Amino acid sequence: MKRISAILAGGLLIFCILFPVCHAATGLKVTKVTIKKLKDSRYQLLVNNKPYIIKGVCYNPVPIGESHDYDFWSDPLQPWIIDGKLMKDMGINTVRFYQVGENPEAVKKVIGDLYSLYGIRTMMGHWLGFWNYPAPFYGDADFRENVKKSVLDMVREYKDEPGILFWVLGNENNYSFSGKLNPWSSAEIDAIEDPVAQISERARVYYSFVNEIAEEIHKIDPNHPVAMGNGEMITLDIAREVAPAVDIVTCLIYRGRSFGNIFKGLKNMFDRPLMLLEFGCDAYNAYTKQEDQDVQAKFLEDQWVQIYKNLAVNKTGEGNCLGGAIFEWTDEWWKNKEHDPDSWSVHDTGSNWSNGAYYFDIKVEGNKNMNEEWFGIVALSPELENGLNKRILRKSYFTLKEFWKKPYDKIKKDKKK
Amino acid sequence: MRKIIRLFLVIGLAIFSSSALAADTKVFNVYTDANSPDNHYIASGYMGDYADVSMDNKSMSNPNSGSTCIKVVYSAKKTQGQGWVGIYWQNPPNNWGSKKGGFDLTGMTKLSFWMKGEKGGEIIDKVVVGGIKGLYPDSSEIAFGPFKLTDSWKEYTVNLAGKDLSYISGGFSWIINSDSNPQGSIFYIDDVKFIADTTVKPETKKQEEMPFYVYSDRGAMQNHFIASGYMGDTSDIKTDLGSVENPYSGSTCIKIEYNNNISYGARWAGVYWQNPANNWGGIDGGLDLSKATKITFWARGEKGNERIEEFKVGGILGEYSDSDSAGIGPVILTKEWKQYTIDLTGKDVSYILGGFCWSTNIDVNPDGIVFYLDEIKYE
Repeated sequence: MKRISAILAGGLLIFCILFPVCHAATGLKVTKVTIKKLKDSRYQLLVNNKPYIIKGVCYNPVPIGESHDYDFWSDPLQPWIIDGKLMKDMGINTVRFYQVGENPEAVKKVIGDLYSLYGIRTMMGHWLGFWNYPAPFYGDADFRENVKKSVLDMVREYKDEPGILFWVLGNENNYSFSGKLNPWSSAEIDAIEDPVAQISERARVYYSFVNEIAEEIHKIDPNHPVAMGNGEMITLDIAREVAPAVDIVTCLIYRGRSFGNIFKGLKNMFDRPLMLLEFGCDAYNAYTKQEDQDVQAKFLEDQWVQIYKNLAVNKTGEGNCLGGAIFEWTDEWWKNKEHDPDSWSVHDTGSNWSNGAYYFDIKVEGNKNMNEEWFGIVALSPELENGLNKRILRKSYFTLKEFWKKPYDKIKKDKKK
Repeated sequence: MRKIIRLFLVIGLAIFSSSALAADTKVFNVYTDANSPDNHYIASGYMGDYADVSMDNKSMSNPNSGSTCIKVVYSAKKTQGQGWVGIYWQNPPNNWGSKKGGFDLTGMTKLSFWMKGEKGGEIIDKVVVGGIKGLYPDSSEIAFGPFKLTDSWKEYTVNLAGKDLSYISGGFSWIINSDSNPQGSIFYIDDVKFIADTTVKPETKKQEEMPFYVYSDRGAMQNHFIASGYMGDTSDIKTDLGSVENPYSGSTCIKIEYNNNISYGARWAGVYWQNPANNWGGIDGGLDLSKATKITFWARGEKGNERIEEFKVGGILGEYSDSDSAGIGPVILTKEWKQYTIDLTGKDVSYILGGFCWSTNIDVNPDGIVFYLDEIKYE
């Protein structure tokens, strides 16, 4: 019996070496994603040993009349089928999800459909309890344990899905360190008098926690890197000290047409590959009070030019960029007045925040120029097509489609100017 | 048919000669002598404390050339409460961009003008070409200054090579302020002209030498950037750039009062020192401070324990953006002067529009605060 077991075990080992792990349902191979570090801290993302540029988009297809609690994963209308086709046609190869849905089978279907039908891979996120109530107490042992368990359960559940590209931990959670958003603290932090030291300590607590989770993920899933979703570059110098297990820094950046010094800056702060997790431009001009597809297309193209300039293959840039994910695929009509259900069916032109980097409409009264409901590169129509809001492709869709066909032509053209 | 063609030619020629200059024009005068037929633009655009200034454009007091020059007397009384005054030479007169009237100065590579002070030492804040906004905006804005006058005529030139001069309705302007000239001043201007000098090449941005002051003393020549970028509850901020209340060094410091009126409901406030004034990224005004490794400044609170959320450099984002940003904060001020440093190591400060900034909010300073700054400099 022992001999039979030994023969079987040996056979299994040889099988595993000869044939990489296959997904039970689809027969597709589990993707092996690695980071290759080149000379001078240049980085490349490799998918099954081949370079991969992330041409991504944030995907949260909330229909007109619904809000943030809409569960698209389980929508029988399957919006990802029509969206995936449009994405593939455009050149998008990756989607970013903020967090998995409640039904694992539904989630697997979405990830699987996008990958098997369109070759679109998934960056899977986790909020790390950032929007939990009460506040996210990252210093509290029970809170940490619950969040960690939730993340690791997610990884165990989906790590063998062939469409998974990597995991993204958090989404601007670092904005809580100053207490301006979702404030949290602990007795130890409260005892610190210096407010700067308080912020640093919160950062240390949070990033250590991220590191702890990243280490655990690596044990469970050696095939996919772990990224961290940071708001801007704030406090990344502390992450460098306490979060070495993080493989990729992903930043949410809203700096207008330019990413500024982020590529070089990150090398100094935390030498990791950079992925732009969220960036973009709204398609509404708050100053002229009309839709402005031209400006959105121009800003997005300029942003992608910079991403390509800083890929590892481009010798003139910093070489530490892996790609980006545009915010976002479709408009979301619920965002301006999220607590007013009547407004979810209205395409609001109001704004709750101001950003001078989007200079074309900063002169609007009160300077509130960021129109949250207009960031889609695809607009929604109240008219239904197969039960879904009809998709109306904006100019930026076509601009980027052309750009991605020959990105370096555009860069060369810019150089000549 | 011939008549019609001729008519078109005449009309076309008239339009061309009134608004466009041939590329081979060598000189385009703004002012040579009073009533000279070669003069273009009219000194009609009075700005700031306009009642503090009187101007005689027929002064015969020792002109640089010809028979007249322009004499300006500035009282620095701040009659309109602005603390500065300036005059634009416009076409047509009083045109702030509402009418079409700019000249096409393409091909001109420099502005030349002569100035002198009555005593010497008078400080001109800046001279500007273009910069008129409105419905018909100038195609460029080029500023030169600050500079100190001597008591004899001296030629100054502004490099215009490479600038878009295709539509300039504000041909020339000067600005002077009361901080730099607290007793007022008398100065003279003559022979203001655009010149097509093909030897003049476009200026490359030069790296500024260190130390590079944002503020040393009120009206000091070495000051750079203007405290013009008021943010949040702007009416709740009062800035005195010439406070004599126990300055850290020199004769003055900056006194800032931030009250708790919450005038616009923002609950926070701050001020950017910008180049040029009010530049939120709309003007190509960045300075190359690459030689700096840090910026230092001295600060104190009136009572102690005033909390400033952030002191910062850079971070203005617009059509022209700061190349980077760096900051410290929150900072709890002490009653005594204390020096603070913002480390610029690894930062790209090659293009800085926002030279310095502070911001705080009412939630951490519920009663408002009074604080002081001095000796703000890049090193």
